[in-house]
Amino acid sequence: MALIECRHLTRTYKRGAEAITPLQDLDLDIEAGAFVALMGPSGSGKTTLLNLLAGIDRPTAGTLSVAGSPVHTLARGELARWRSTHVGYIFQLYNLIPVLTAYENVELPLLLQPMSRSERHARVAAALEAVSISDRHAHYPRQLSGGQEQRVAIARAIVTEPSILLADEPTGDLDRATATSMMELLARLNAEQGRTIVMVTHDPRTTEWADTVLHLEKGKLVEQAVGGAA
Amino acid sequence: MMRLLRVCPTVLRQIIRSPIRSALTVIGISVAMYLFVSVEAMREGVHTATQVQAGDTTLVVYRENRFCPFSSRLPQFYGDRIERLEGVNSVVPMQIHVSNCRASLDVVTFRGVPRDELGTALASGGKITDGSVAAWERRGDAAVVGEALAARRGVRVGDRFSAAGITVFVAGILETDHPQDRNIAWVHLPFLQEAARRGGTGGLVTQFNVAVDEPAHLEAVASEIDALFRHDEHPTATRPERAFVGRAARDIVELVDFAGLLAWGALAAVFALIANAIVLAMRDRLRDHAVLQTLGFSGPLIAWMVLVEGATLGLVGGLLGAIGAFATVRVGHFSLTMEGLNIEIASGWSAPLVGIAAALALGVLAAIVPALRLARRDIASCFRAV
Ligand SMILES: Nc1ncnc2c1ncn2[C@@H]1O[C@H](COP(=O)(O)OP(=O)(O)OP(=O)(O)O)[C@@H](O)[C@H]1O
Ligand SMILES: [Mg+2]
Repeated sequence: MALIECRHLTRTYKRGAEAITPLQDLDLDIEAGAFVALMGPSGSGKTTLLNLLAGIDRPTAGTLSVAGSPVHTLARGELARWRSTHVGYIFQLYNLIPVLTAYENVELPLLLQPMSRSERHARVAAALEAVSISDRHAHYPRQLSGGQEQRVAIARAIVTEPSILLADEPTGDLDRATATSMMELLARLNAEQGRTIVMVTHDPRTTEWADTVLHLEKGKLVEQAVGGAA
Repeated sequence: MMRLLRVCPTVLRQIIRSPIRSALTVIGISVAMYLFVSVEAMREGVHTATQVQAGDTTLVVYRENRFCPFSSRLPQFYGDRIERLEGVNSVVPMQIHVSNCRASLDVVTFRGVPRDELGTALASGGKITDGSVAAWERRGDAAVVGEALAARRGVRVGDRFSAAGITVFVAGILETDHPQDRNIAWVHLPFLQEAARRGGTGGLVTQFNVAVDEPAHLEAVASEIDALFRHDEHPTATRPERAFVGRAARDIVELVDFAGLLAWGALAAVFALIANAIVLAMRDRLRDHAVLQTLGFSGPLIAWMVLVEGATLGLVGGLLGAIGAFATVRVGHFSLTMEGLNIEIASGWSAPLVGIAAALALGVLAAIVPALRLARRDIASCFRAV
């Protein structure tokens, strides 16, 4: 059984009388440990799909199960609890909380879990270490470069040790060299820690780190290519 | 629900790390709460001084239709006739001399009592903390000074002080919880009659303070006294002491009731300040809250954080304002005096505590609507909105 299973996944937005369906009848399996790159033109429903996988949006129809649990049936509160342990989300614009230091930002998801202060400290320190940003732990987001901010954001996403990492154009705002090191970091998390990664990207070069590339067009998967080093 | 506590430091950081906005809000709240607590202390003081209470046993006998100590004159021998009435424990004739008959914040009131009556006059729960009654009895120009008056004028035993053209020697300081006695200088009756230059008559006094044996007899004894002198040359009007103060101070009572509106206004201002601060902060943090929700913070947890923020702002502002007002009242020993009667501004804990509790409650109240709206927001659309 695949880690993530989507069946007839559909999301419709109603805007007054008209309805938009950015995602229609999507079937998709993602195996545990996969590194999936999701491509497609603007407005094709990539973010919509990612939000459904992250449990921050809910499907209008169809089913979504992750590690055997039917996520689409969870109530709001249950969904929040599920998110806090199962997924890490990485944004294009980092989305760190500006009034909190790097350390405090990474600590946030752990506040939801029953955990002693010292245990929390150890986990945050390990996450910052894993993304090589320990020396900046006391800095505020405005004191960090874009690449450093994204590292902190990745640390925040992995600190709860979720099985799934979701990234929406994580290199979209970074220069080439920084983007490359960010991709190497994600590949390492995928290879060494076995995290399943689904990454939305517009940049074909970043797909070379992925083992699967999916193309989305008008809410449907159009082809499924196997990429990788080749 | 330990997580409710674990997120509190994050809320405090959000407040502290927007120092200008937080400071402005807190200053606004504390100014409003300062006003609220001051007005409440004044109202409480007026209430204590003018509302007859269950255990009261003191009557004041005044000249009928006279409203100022300068015009109330009663023959001193009335005292003997009053004393013979059933239910009367003691009668103290008093000459009242004030430096100012109008409502004022610093009036010195002299009460002249016969040499052997000071003990009786002070019996209602007071004690002399410095000096003694004996020292007072020894000197003709001696005064026992109420603690509030002594503190306001900064006088001690052995000092002399003057007011209203009279100079007295301080022979004792009186500590009492009787508001009328705290602000008074007790002097010898003949000395005051002489000093007040009432034609050297010696036989006239301003009023009699009558102690009855039981609170229940207050009204009955009052009517008896007035009946006694109804057809006399100097008819009397007898009232319970606090009612007497309330009548004399009716202008102040009305003014202070009106000031109660200010207190409500201050509360409304606090509500508006906190609501405004919260609404602006929410708008600023639209994205932050969506991020928190993405991380797994539930809607109710985020609503809780907003409530904690409102409560904290209210509490800090309330504390500053209440402590400021409390300190002002404590240090200032303010009392409103009119017609020789005192209304002390309450310096107890109750007004500040009410103020702090009100500010806290308003903080929570002002945050409820933004918090609930936030808790219901759809996360995905939050990211699109910003
Ligand atoms: N909350 C919403 N309400 C209404 N329409 C929405 C909402 N969210 C998404 N849409 C619509 O769904 C479509 C797909 O949006 P989506 O963000 O998934 O595209 P995308 O593939 O991520 O595009 P991009 O590459 O530009 O990020 C768009 O037409 C968008 O306007
Ligand atoms: Mg998108």
